[in-house]
Amino acid sequence: MMRRRLTFLLTITVAMLAATSAQAASDVGVDELLSDGAAFAGQTISVVGELIGDYGRRSDGSAWTQLNGDPYASAPLLESGALGGSNAGIGISAPADLIADLDPPGGYHQRGPLVRVSGIWEYHDADRGGETYLDAVSIEVLEPGRAIEEEVNPVVASLGALFLVTALWLALRGRKRLLD
Amino acid sequence: MLIRPNRGDLRLIGYNLGRILGVVAAAGLVPLTWALVAGEFAPAASFLLMIGIFGTLAFALRQRAPQSNRLEWSHGMVIVGLTWLIVPAIGAVPLVLSGHYGSFIDPFFDAMSGLTTTGLALIQDLDHLATSLNFWRHLLHFLGGQGIVIAVLSLFAGGGAMTLYYGEARDDQIFPSVRSTARFIWLVSAVHAAFGIFALGAVGYFVLGFRPFRAIFHAVTIFMAAFDTGGFAPQSSSIGYYHSAVFEAVTAVLMVAGALSFGLHFALWRGRHKVLRNLEIRTILATFLGTLLLTLAGLAGAGAFESLSGLSRQGFFQVLSAHTGTGFATVPSLELASWGGLAFGGMAIAMALGGMGSSTAGGVKSLRIGLTIKALSSQVRQVLLPEGAVISTRYWQNGWKQLNPDLIQAVMGVSLLYVALYLLGTGVGLMYHLPLQSALFESVSAGANVGLSVGITDPSMPLVLKLTYIFQMWAGRLEFVAIFSLFGFLFSLVRGK
Repeated sequence: MMRRRLTFLLTITVAMLAATSAQAASDVGVDELLSDGAAFAGQTISVVGELIGDYGRRSDGSAWTQLNGDPYASAPLLESGALGGSNAGIGISAPADLIADLDPPGGYHQRGPLVRVSGIWEYHDADRGGETYLDAVSIEVLEPGRAIEEEVNPVVASLGALFLVTALWLALRGRKRLLD
Repeated sequence: MLIRPNRGDLRLIGYNLGRILGVVAAAGLVPLTWALVAGEFAPAASFLLMIGIFGTLAFALRQRAPQSNRLEWSHGMVIVGLTWLIVPAIGAVPLVLSGHYGSFIDPFFDAMSGLTTTGLALIQDLDHLATSLNFWRHLLHFLGGQGIVIAVLSLFAGGGAMTLYYGEARDDQIFPSVRSTARFIWLVSAVHAAFGIFALGAVGYFVLGFRPFRAIFHAVTIFMAAFDTGGFAPQSSSIGYYHSAVFEAVTAVLMVAGALSFGLHFALWRGRHKVLRNLEIRTILATFLGTLLLTLAGLAGAGAFESLSGLSRQGFFQVLSAHTGTGFATVPSLELASWGGLAFGGMAIAMALGGMGSSTAGGVKSLRIGLTIKALSSQVRQVLLPEGAVISTRYWQNGWKQLNPDLIQAVMGVSLLYVALYLLGTGVGLMYHLPLQSALFESVSAGANVGLSVGITDPSMPLVLKLTYIFQMWAGRLEFVAIFSLFGFLFSLVRGK
């Protein structure tokens, strides 16, 4: 009886601790993680940003991707977003089922899903040869991904054609001179 | 007295320059095809424009054939110097039109960085760049690493072609004919391309779980950047993006292959293992081990990595990348910037020394380092021996060779020029109140065509610093002679009689 009670109490304590730790997870900026990653080592954190590049599904059941927390996540360049410097991203490792239903990751012609990823910040993980990444336990979609179009600039295309025609004319002229 | 070049000289230079630009125009068809296949039509239009400009200039320069196509040294050097300015200028056109740059100088910076196989980048939002443009950035590495001029020589080597070959800082003539040598260089690259793209693609698909097209895209771009010791990567977090020891291992093999001279490749292919006794090999092994130990000791002392596996894997990859002049990183630049003391020293020295001569790597080069050490030890022995004693110093480099004063002077001269180049960038950095360590690191990275960054290279950095790094990349890659010849030629055009 005593043993059962102890088990029950232990279970409640663990559940409460887990809940507290989940609540304690506050949003951390990618810039903060890149500039002082050691400060968050082993902590449960949440990071908001765009999933980018690839979803690499590995044989161990994990999936790897990158989360960018830069201005382009909310305002893509192809949608008249302003230039805001280099990208700022961190690696994300998650169980493959967490990314199964997500929109394609960001790239050219694609704004990736804007998400909040919560998990443990693995800084210089000894088990993975010193890699640093966020070991995700949950991914919340804040905004789905979407396709982005880029129109062909007619001036560029016309100028290209003009230069190409000029080059061909010069080539033929040069050849004729050589034969003469 | 300076002799003003005549119309014949200009025609000869223009004609050969036209040939080279024509080959680059043809190379532009590859990213154009890529763009069309990938459905990236806006970048395709910009590639069309670039090819058109290259083609127009190429054929305009070739309108009048010179009376004799025999190139003298000055012609060859001027052609090479100009080629390495014009190609990045026109090659930057698709980058300018991509909308990923804040000023006109930034795409030129990146194109020069690509061509000189440096790898420093000012591109913004790389992670949303069109794959065809990303491919073009890496193809610039390939064209530069193999040598654009080599490409032309393998097609049309004519009289005096050797001057062009040497102009691109190559001194390893493998076959009696320049054309055969150039073709051998392309053969080595083709074999490595087949192996490298297959291995990286297989790792990408089977281990990392990428989709087939993406696995090929990563394999092709990383191969070109690794084998040509360039350092661009298709994603902003460089090799750290892949989170894979296997991928890093394959990349490391390609980086080492790229840092070996093509002469050594030839000897190893022929089973001439005696070359492993060469002074150049022994020097590069010694300097690599020395800088690795220095860096690891620094990182261990600073407690940067708690585990031995982390220390060794991350330390090894970063030092190898620095020493081969590649510039890939598996740690963010801000973290790299925090590597102070011995770790900083180890990395900076590794970058400054560079790979082997006649390879795709930059830096002072290991043979020069080895000869400098030999010369200095010979000097010390001379001082210690009685006056009048004669010391003969030999070294093994594909056979016993005598270390003579002319050789020592040439080696010391180029080595000192590299030191001056590194100090130039450091001085300009200090002028803009950068910390000495960061200014030195970034300057060495630019001058030695490495590409590792501690965060200084950024679109917001001062224009003068951008121009300084551009000059450093250009001069460091061509090893000064072609640059000085070009300046001398331009001066004699104005002041010659």
